[in-house]
Parts: sequence; structure tokens; C-alpha cells
Amino acid sequence: MIKGKCWVADDYVMSYNMILQEYWTAPIDPEENSKWVMAGVDEAFNKENGFKDQGYTFIVAAHNFAGGGKSIEHVVAGLMGAGIKAVFADSFARLQFRNAINYGLPFVTCKDIVKGFETGDELSYDPATGAIENVTKGTEFNSVPAAPFVADVGAAGGLMNFVRDKIAKGEPIG
Amino acid sequence: MGMTITEKIMAKQSGRDSVKPGELVWVDIESVMTMDYLGKTCFDKFKSLGKTEVFNKDKVICVSDHLIPPPNQKFANMLNEWREVVKENDITHFYDLGRQGIAHQIMVEQGHVLPGTVSIGTDSHANTYGAVGAVGNAVGVTDAAVAMATGKAWFRVPDSVKFHITGEWQPWIMGKDLSLHIMGMMHWNGHLIYKTLEYTGPAIASLDMAGRMTLCNMTVDLGAKNGIIAPDKTTAAYLDGVAKGEWEMIASDDDAKYEAVYEIDVTNLGPTVAKPDKLDDTVPVEELVGTKFNKAFVGTCTNGRLEDIEIMAKILKDKQVHRDVNMMLVPASQTVYLEALRKGYLETLIMAGVAIDTPSCAACAGIHTGVAGDGDIVLSAGNRNMKGRMGSKNAQIYLTSPAVVAASAVKGEITDPRTFAA
Repeated sequence: MIKGKCWVADDYVMSYNMILQEYWTAPIDPEENSKWVMAGVDEAFNKENGFKDQGYTFIVAAHNFAGGGKSIEHVVAGLMGAGIKAVFADSFARLQFRNAINYGLPFVTCKDIVKGFETGDELSYDPATGAIENVTKGTEFNSVPAAPFVADVGAAGGLMNFVRDKIAKGEPIG
Repeated sequence: MGMTITEKIMAKQSGRDSVKPGELVWVDIESVMTMDYLGKTCFDKFKSLGKTEVFNKDKVICVSDHLIPPPNQKFANMLNEWREVVKENDITHFYDLGRQGIAHQIMVEQGHVLPGTVSIGTDSHANTYGAVGAVGNAVGVTDAAVAMATGKAWFRVPDSVKFHITGEWQPWIMGKDLSLHIMGMMHWNGHLIYKTLEYTGPAIASLDMAGRMTLCNMTVDLGAKNGIIAPDKTTAAYLDGVAKGEWEMIASDDDAKYEAVYEIDVTNLGPTVAKPDKLDDTVPVEELVGTKFNKAFVGTCTNGRLEDIEIMAKILKDKQVHRDVNMMLVPASQTVYLEALRKGYLETLIMAGVAIDTPSCAACAGIHTGVAGDGDIVLSAGNRNMKGRMGSKNAQIYLTSPAVVAASAVKGEITDPRTFAA
């Protein structure tokens, strides 16, 4: 069970604004990327650790979270470095959806979830069952638990660990 | 039940008789592409997996395109590290400054992408590879590193959506117009998230490879997983003498299942423009005629090919770029550049007042040559127009075809190319 407070976003939170152009050529590193993650999304986050210092554990968004193109992993690494443990949204842009799976960060599709949340609400999320509870408002939502492969990659701590382990054991990966 | 071309490719490459949408498969990868600013990280990650050699030195394709030639010391240093790591890993195909091109152009033009196979690249426009009947997919450096080590990548088999394109292409109308038209119709990163888009029909059969590459290229901006056009005579002629391996014709079954089918007749399709900030805010050029702009740009993995340069040269022959407009062309590769030179297009364009730069991604991603400054209004044949994409957040970017860019550059305001004799 994961608990913490959430930040509520709108439609079309774009990768471009989550990691600004000047940081695309930086190393991929959760700690480093988290300093300026979301800097272009909201003026309040446009300072060093601007998003991270808010102490959010969850993001609740509407449509096409992390869209606009860009396959760079700084986006997901930055969110993880900032303490985000799961993102709930109507839909995710596929490039970052894929990266999130590869990093073991749950990107959970949950229709219309944004309507029941306000920034700062306390949430609890059970990845095993998919149950999401808005503790502040006393409401509950259901999501589909991760598919077996996604859960396995998450349990391994990401695709790199998953594949490294298979290679070390001489097992086929798929 | 029949399969779509994407399902057939995923079945074949995962060693199965059939696959269904939603299934998770590990597929064999034909080529893995990575490029200058992410490449070193790919190799570092690959090494950390416990392998010392990549799965196939002929199938890891390395390209310098975003940072070349280096405009500052930071990029120069990154390129030096990149060259070192490519050398260390003894990679066969390295397209560096002097032999360069935009990665997606190189992958198709140099025959690293084969019909009926799957190739991936660490840049979002890897969807371009669908133009030759391959599954082309953009990934992060993690997937590329895993593929370098194992020759494989995981995929969830996508649902298929068909665009059946009919009618006759009219003079000055290009694949880009169709691409932007579909963007307006389906909405940017909207209804097509995770889908495979298949383009078929007589107006695809009559479309050249450059137009097919434009169409498949921009499927990533529709949110799709991939865009694909089944190989045909045009594909075979294009790959003749170029393909780096054997390949076979492949097509969707007649009874394949599509989540949706859209019909579009191009006969009445006109020049199309996306207004600043949102790709799906598209309008027929007529609505914007007379709009002033000060920068004109043709290039990128979307529209920097020979056919694009040819259409510019036709429009700009014996004409002059308006004095209030700075116009730049950046060919998509050295091969394209040389061919445009031999055909005389570059002479025509230089005489008209067009600046030509060495092949690179240039200003498209806002990190290299020709970026936009505050107050600039750019008419671009590139692929994205969100605020800040080409540099300043205080610049405006209109996206359109090379024909519209060229015609408008003459007038200094957005112009319908159909007012020029075809």
C-alpha cells in the first residue's frame, strides 16, 4: 500500500514541459533530473526542486499525460527522483507509458479519475488490487492491476534489472 | 481470423503463427538505431547488462544528427565521447559528420530497415520506417540497450486502424497535406494513442516514397504506436540495391480486423497548415493567405528529402525569396544533398536566396542551427509547433508542406502554391 498526497494536472501535460529542452542532453539520473522536472508545466515549479519540494507522492491527470512526443527517459527518471510513486490518468502518451513500465513506475489508466481529486488530497493506492482511495474525500476508485509482465518488470526494479538477471542466469527473456 | 500487416510482422518476429491485439510479445529486432546525444548512454546501459558485444555489429546503427556540426564546446565534447564509444564497440555502420543524415532518413535510405521486420530507434520519429512496410517504433535508451544486448524488444500487439486513401493527387499537394489533414481530423495524440495506423488504397499506391515517409513519420504525433504502408512496386524499386538483407512482400489479410476504418479522398485535398502551438489546429491554406512571417524552414525527418527539394526548386526557379524572409533548407542526408546538387536544385535555390546548411536536425528540436528568437514567425515544413519547439517560447510556428513554404517565401506572406503554374 502506497500513501501520500497528490498533485492534480490537466489534459496534455507535455513531456516538453516536464523536461525543458536545455536538460535533454543532461545525463539520465533521477536525482539530477528531479531538480528541474515539471519546470515548464507550472510557473510555481520553475525553480530548482520546485516540484520535488512540494512532496507529492502521486499525480492525477486527465488525457494524454506526458504527451507531445519525446522518448527521452529523463521524464520518468525525474518524476521518480521527485518522489512520485504512481501516476493515474485517463490516458498516457505511449512513449512515456513505455518508459514508465521499463522503470517500474506505475502509470495507471483510470477513466475520469481527475474529476474526483484536488491537489493536496491524501491518497492510498494498492498496486496488487488496483484500489485507489481518496482518504481526504472518502471516495474510492478501481483500476486494473498491472499485467503480469509489467508487474514482473516492476518487481525486478525495472527492465534493466529484469534483463540483467535473465542474462546472468542464461535464461531467455521472452 | 486474418491478421493485419503489423500483427503478421509481430507474429513472424516473435516466432508465433499468430498474435492478437493486447498480447505481449518479445520480437526479434532487425536494426537498432541510436544517435549522438543519447548514444553514449545506450552503450553504457548495454554494458551494464553484462554483455561485452552487441547482438550484431551490422544491426546497431549509429548516427550523428542532433548535435552536428557542434555549435558549442558542450556539444563538441559530447560528440567526442560518442565517437569513442562507437569505435570501442566496433560498430559497422556509423554515419558521422561528412557521411551524415537525420537518423530516420539514414535508416530507410541506406536499407537498414527491411519490409516485414521490426526496427527501433531512440528518437520519437522512428515511426518513419513504416514507409517501407516495417514496424518502426520509437523507444527510450533502456529498450535500445536491451535490444543491443539481446536483439529483442517487448511489444504489446496494438489494435489496428485503417486509413483507406483514394482519389487523384492534385498539383502541389503532398503527403504532408494529408498528414496534417488527418491530424486535424483525429486530433493530436488523441484517439489514436497506442494504435497501429495502416495506410492503404490507390492514392497510397500512387504516392512516392518521400510522401510515404512523411505520412508514417507523423503517426507518432497522432499518438500512434506505428504507421505502416505495405510494400509494393514502389518499395521494391526504392530498396533495389540498397536493402541490407533479403525481404519478402507482406500485406494484411482481406479478413483482418480493424478497430476503425477511415476513408479519405485526396482529390479535393488542398494545401493544409497547422496554426501555432497545436498540431491539430489545421486549416486549409486559404484561411491564412496574407499572414506575414519572417523565417522559412524546410528540412527535418519529415520533409527534407529530394522530392521536397524538387518541389521547392520548381516554385522558386527564377524567383526571389522576399526580402523580409530568411529562408533555410537543410537536406535530410548527404545522399539527398548530393543528388539535389547534381539535379541543379540547389543552384536554383541559392540563386533565389535560400541558405543551405549541412544535413542535421537543425532547428527542428530547437537545439541546433537556425533556432527561433522572440517574436519570430516561422513557416516550417517540420513536424512540431508547440511553444518553444524551435527555440523561443515567444516565437510562433506554422507547419505546412514544402510547396506552401516555397510559394509563401516568394510573397513574404502565406500563399496558396496553386497560384503558381504547375
